[in-house]
Amino acid sequence: MIELEDLAKHFGDVKAVDGITLTVPKGEFFCVLGPNAAGKTTTIKLMVGLIRPDRGAARVAGYDIQAQPLEARARLAYVPDFPFLYDKLTPWEFLRFTGQLFRMPDRRIEEVASDLVPRFNLEPWLHKPIESLSHGTRQRVAIASALLHDPEVFVIDEPMVGLDPHHARVVKDTLRERARRGMTVFLSTHQTSVAQELADRVGIIHRGKLVAVGTAAELHARAGTDGALERAFLAITEGEQETVPETVG
Amino acid sequence: MNATESPLGLLVRVNALSAWRRVLGLRQQSRLLVAVIGGFLVGYLAFAFLLFRLGLAFIGRFPGLGSLLVERLLFLLFAFLFGLLLLSNLVICYTNFFRNRETAFLITAPVPISAVFQWKCIESTLLASWAFLFLIAPLLAAYGQLNRVPWHFYPATLGLVLLFVVLPGIGGAALAIFVARWLDRRAFQIAAVTGVAVVLALLAFHLRPEPASDEVLEARVQSVIDRLLVNTGFAQSPLLPSYWLSACVLNLAEGAVKAAGFYALVLLSHVLFLGRLALIGLGGPFYGAANTVQSRASAFSRWGWWQRLEARNLSTAAEIRRLWLAPAGPGESCGAAAHFGPVDRLDRVLRWAGLATDVRALVAKDLRVFWRDTTQWGQTVLLFGLLAVYILNLRHFTRQLDSAFWIGLVSYLNLAACALNVATITTRFVFPQFSLEGRRVWLVGLAPLGLVRVVLLKFWLAGATSLCLTLGLTLMSGHLLGLEWQRQLYFGVAVTVMTFTLNAIAVGLGAIHPNFRETNPSKIVSGFGGTFCLVLSFFYILASVIALAMGSPWGWRGEETGPVKPMVGWAVFVLLSVLSGWVPLRIGLRRVATTEL
Repeated sequence: MIELEDLAKHFGDVKAVDGITLTVPKGEFFCVLGPNAAGKTTTIKLMVGLIRPDRGAARVAGYDIQAQPLEARARLAYVPDFPFLYDKLTPWEFLRFTGQLFRMPDRRIEEVASDLVPRFNLEPWLHKPIESLSHGTRQRVAIASALLHDPEVFVIDEPMVGLDPHHARVVKDTLRERARRGMTVFLSTHQTSVAQELADRVGIIHRGKLVAVGTAAELHARAGTDGALERAFLAITEGEQETVPETVG
Repeated sequence: MNATESPLGLLVRVNALSAWRRVLGLRQQSRLLVAVIGGFLVGYLAFAFLLFRLGLAFIGRFPGLGSLLVERLLFLLFAFLFGLLLLSNLVICYTNFFRNRETAFLITAPVPISAVFQWKCIESTLLASWAFLFLIAPLLAAYGQLNRVPWHFYPATLGLVLLFVVLPGIGGAALAIFVARWLDRRAFQIAAVTGVAVVLALLAFHLRPEPASDEVLEARVQSVIDRLLVNTGFAQSPLLPSYWLSACVLNLAEGAVKAAGFYALVLLSHVLFLGRLALIGLGGPFYGAANTVQSRASAFSRWGWWQRLEARNLSTAAEIRRLWLAPAGPGESCGAAAHFGPVDRLDRVLRWAGLATDVRALVAKDLRVFWRDTTQWGQTVLLFGLLAVYILNLRHFTRQLDSAFWIGLVSYLNLAACALNVATITTRFVFPQFSLEGRRVWLVGLAPLGLVRVVLLKFWLAGATSLCLTLGLTLMSGHLLGLEWQRQLYFGVAVTVMTFTLNAIAVGLGAIHPNFRETNPSKIVSGFGGTFCLVLSFFYILASVIALAMGSPWGWRGEETGPVKPMVGWAVFVLLSVLSGWVPLRIGLRRVATTEL
């Protein structure tokens, strides 16, 4: 599970994250939406320990990411919007490397990889240098390697960027299936359709604050809209635009 | 690889594998080019060995003081190299620690932060130090051969040098963490440039040349040497790690194994103590500094004087718009739209000169990118600043430079030094331009201007900008050497041709060997094309200066020379410039016109 408690982060005068409190229980598929520069990526960076909060705490699978970083990270997987890969390695070498970073025995790595590789259609590129792969294939390599150690919490930023419809479907199905098996998924996206399709609950971050949380139906009820989640999102963020004082530069 | 391997071991292994594959990637390059570069590297080692050997032998023959002067030279050399290594480690550690995607990736993995720091520290030290090893290898080999040292001198010296580079590595890492934690990026840039300027000024003051009359030089050599030794005595401070290395090498060469062993142990104990301290103690501060760097807002927004300057710029912009350009519109209140800086002023000049809007836009963009990239202007200022200091110091020697031979030699060497500086700058900054522009092809490449004209424009802009520096320095050198106007004109034209040729080499080869995958210009340069660009530039400079010097219209011994030799010299020079510059530029432009991006 993920627990964010009064999380706050400033960049100079700019309040990037302003007191976010949220609990995402085990096995929940949580999507976070928000306009550009709303604070989504900063929230994720705080959650995975890339930066320290000015205030509050983030706990992953019961471990404080700042106080017990190794325990928390061992149970966490994070895929940023532009993931880092070693260009001179092959996808197979990268998968093994990632598994070893997570202290997985070689046999276990091969076992899990033998499921993930065909699922993400990586066989044709498995032994080719990563530098020769397309953006979409690199994204699939990153997602497969993040899933390798069977994380309890999976955090992903804009997962569909560069993926064709077929592989986007594979990613969605895999994440849903893992969530059903108990993995907590925290997905940040601009695509309201993805959130509507996949999420158990959706959070909307705007100007550093978590301005709404709930199921699609609950968000519609709050916004007084129906149909596509996009309408609720626009209504809520536009409403906040009028009421929230200017804080983000 | 196995699951029980330490995280540090795993990181070292994976990165070593990546590095090895980069080396193997050479097989995909042209054999001819690989052979040329390999030949250049071997040639450099041999040539440097020869020069060092001749130089050390010459100094060693100084009556009564030869070995003392050679010793002092070694102490000085290692002291300065220690300072340079420290600076180099600081810059590389800062980038590698806090502006590196691998670091961010590893911080989110279950790798102890100390292991991440340890790996990044090792990687930075290797990156910062390999050139140092390459530089001093021929010197130590020459010193060893002159002193007829036993065979074990060479492996022992290699081991000592490897130990030595650890100390500036640790120092650079600690300094990088300190500046990241306490200084904003821009404040760091200003502090670094100011620090370098202060150090240079102090050195210039401390090591200032003392004018000596001919009488003094002839009658009081001892006194001059004494002053020289006193002024360079700082290099023999026993607190300097360079002192331990130098003392160890010198004792080893003399067969004083016990004394050499003592200094080796001093070096080793410091490496072990400080290394252990850094590797176990700096992981936490490293993470804190990384967090600070990621969390920082611009320091400029906090500085009152900067805000006042900005406000002044904004009001100037509004005034100029009101008077010259257009009546105030809705965008006038927008700070970004109304900002009016030096580049905008230049843009106005170019507009009056009749340049098209798209050309001016590209010029303004390139100038802004140059100005905002501290690495670019910092290195340019450092290289040409050092050259300027040297040329300004020529005035102290003009009394001794009274023979035609020395004046000729110094003026041709100055021409070579100017050209070498340009070659360094063009390879480092101009060569990767097309690769970087190729990544932005959706905008620049598809604009009506066309990629060919974009590349040509870069050539003219880089050429004109670097010409301001080279022509200025060459004319200053000529003036301080007291050359007549005909000679100044001669060198002015020569340096102009060389400046544009070197830019043509960089632009042309950059277009022929592009790397569209890499975003980091320093990595683009370190590839095959960049290395070839540097090698070709050096060969061109060497051949050109030799051709010009051999065909000098002013005789080396003050004798009259006929018109044939200068004409042949210039014909060879022009031919070399056309072959080295115009041909690659032409091929590059053709490649750009047909390239599939």
